[in-house]
Amino acid sequence: MFWYDLASSLLVGTMNTLELLLISAPLGAGLGIAIGILGSRKGFLSILARAFSSIFRGFPLLVTLFIVFFGLTDFGIYLSPTASAIISFILCSSAYISEYVRGAILSIDEGQSLAAKAIGMNETQEFLHIILPQAIRRALPSISNEIVYMVQYSSLAFAVGVQEVYSVAKSFNSLYFRPLEIFSILALIYLSMTALVTLAFRKLTERLRIP
Amino acid sequence: MMLRIEDLRKRYSGVEVLKGVDLELRKGETKVIMGPSGAGKSTLLKCINLLVRPDGGRIFIDGEEITSKNDVYRVRQKIGFVFQEFNLFNHLTVMGNVTIGLTKVKGMSKNDAILKAKEVLRAVRIGEELWDRYPAQLSGGQKQRVAIARALAMDPVLMLYDEPTSALDPQLSMEVLSVMRELSKRGMTSLVVTHELSFAIEAASSIAVMYDGRIVEEGRPEEIIRSPKTAEARAIFKGRLNYVLV
Amino acid sequence: MPSVIEYIPFLMEGSLWTLSLVALGLSLGFSLGLPIAIMKFYGARLDAYVWFMRGTPLIVLLSLLYWGVFPALGVKIGPFETSVIALGLRSSAYQSQIFLSALNSVDSGQIIAARSIGMRERQVVAHVLLPQALRISLPSWSNEYAIMLKDSSICFALGVMEILTRARYISVATGSALLPYLLAGILFFSLTHAGTSAIELIYRRVRIKGTLGAG
Repeated sequence: MFWYDLASSLLVGTMNTLELLLISAPLGAGLGIAIGILGSRKGFLSILARAFSSIFRGFPLLVTLFIVFFGLTDFGIYLSPTASAIISFILCSSAYISEYVRGAILSIDEGQSLAAKAIGMNETQEFLHIILPQAIRRALPSISNEIVYMVQYSSLAFAVGVQEVYSVAKSFNSLYFRPLEIFSILALIYLSMTALVTLAFRKLTERLRIP
Repeated sequence: MMLRIEDLRKRYSGVEVLKGVDLELRKGETKVIMGPSGAGKSTLLKCINLLVRPDGGRIFIDGEEITSKNDVYRVRQKIGFVFQEFNLFNHLTVMGNVTIGLTKVKGMSKNDAILKAKEVLRAVRIGEELWDRYPAQLSGGQKQRVAIARALAMDPVLMLYDEPTSALDPQLSMEVLSVMRELSKRGMTSLVVTHELSFAIEAASSIAVMYDGRIVEEGRPEEIIRSPKTAEARAIFKGRLNYVLV
Repeated sequence: MPSVIEYIPFLMEGSLWTLSLVALGLSLGFSLGLPIAIMKFYGARLDAYVWFMRGTPLIVLLSLLYWGVFPALGVKIGPFETSVIALGLRSSAYQSQIFLSALNSVDSGQIIAARSIGMRERQVVAHVLLPQALRISLPSWSNEYAIMLKDSSICFALGVMEILTRARYISVATGSALLPYLLAGILFFSLTHAGTSAIELIYRRVRIKGTLGAG
């Protein structure tokens, strides 16, 4: 009975975790890339972009989560636990990813830019066709690392009541009280998800690899 | 006159790198610029296609003054630039490198671009088996020839070469220099910064010696090498007479 | 309702607990991570340990230790100590990666040279490898500090009186929802910057001039 109940509970929890990830990861990466691009240019928007990145990297995820879930109630904004979690994950991951993307863009050899100019490309063409394709590939390992981290920090959504897999395991433990088994299996679940994401990114990196 | 440079000046953080350069190049002519490092040769070339904005003086390409223009992109399409470090686009194949200017800048269709690319790749003797390779898979000499093809594909009226073989060992240099020689013979107006005396003798109609931001002497290769008039020119050609007498 | 301002000293005190968690966690991570890196450098297969520690969320590790392992072993280890252990174990896995890559980036010619003047392997490690590897690691290590600082907030779950726990307390006590957490965030932010700047200063002092890896 115990194992069956455990399995079915953890399954539901895992589904919820995956749901969180499947929404937050692409949006976080997309926003992160956009902010990273902005941050690599000059001007006011760029300063804003870099400030955003600095702030949400400097705040622990839990703090961001509590500000979104609890803090916004001061302004009459009441977000659901799941929405708060997703928003926080996106804010946090995009801040880190923007930093990796920005770094990658700035690391592209100046010669590439010169050669693009020499054949008559304007700034936009140069950025879109020459700089960005190379920068994204260069940032990919760091981006995939961040998504792997996201798999793990998805567990923090328990703090605002999201029924993701850690939260489910914890509730289950307070009923059946077999922490060693429950939390060990939980660890294995996270390890599997991590392995899956790592594998997926390895495939993606292979696909995009420049010989 | 395909290229005319009048009193060109450029300053970098307080240091004057170009101190009033005058130069002329006729259509179909190949001129070689030689001089010690720091003389401003690279800066001079980069001013011609406006990769660097000069602080003073004027540049005329095919009669049109380009220094007062803001539309640098159109000017650059008419000039081909070959870099010492090749600067091939790492994420594109050989074919991709040559066609990208045609499709994205000139707006050609993909098929037309490929046709043109094949033509120039053959001219630089890069065979079909290399067309799908990436820059990292090519030798230095192959990379530079692809770089030349990339520049040629845009149908430039003037080719600028910034020490094209300095990063190559002698063997690979020869491949590149022979391609450059052929292009010169076929009438491509070329301005070449190089140390390769053999190229100057075989392909150039004149050598300009540059020192400390100025052209100090110019002359036909056979003359200037045998009897340089200025001290700077003597410093370059002295003792290299042996190479010439072949 | 009391105002948040009154609680600011209370919040700031949390920094002491937070910084203790970080300092002890980093030290534990260092004392485990460095030997692991050296062992891996010489060929030991410790991948499973690193894989486990890196792939398990901190909260799961905390729960597993606090409610599972320690009671099962019959030891009474408090929330603070458990937090330090969990933070330290996870950090050791990341630090071992940092040190391993730093060890690998030390020019192998130096190792051969050291051996050929008769140094024992132990001495090679102590006098040639480590001095350089440790310096090379500093920038990444500074990152580890920043991560640890943020992860320490997770220990609120065990009731450790660090910054976030106190912020929650203040929020409940004053009824203010935004300000306590905002202040906590600013506090974390400042501690992160102060710490990484300090490490940057140390790095500039000790770095090996003229080498890419250390520059």
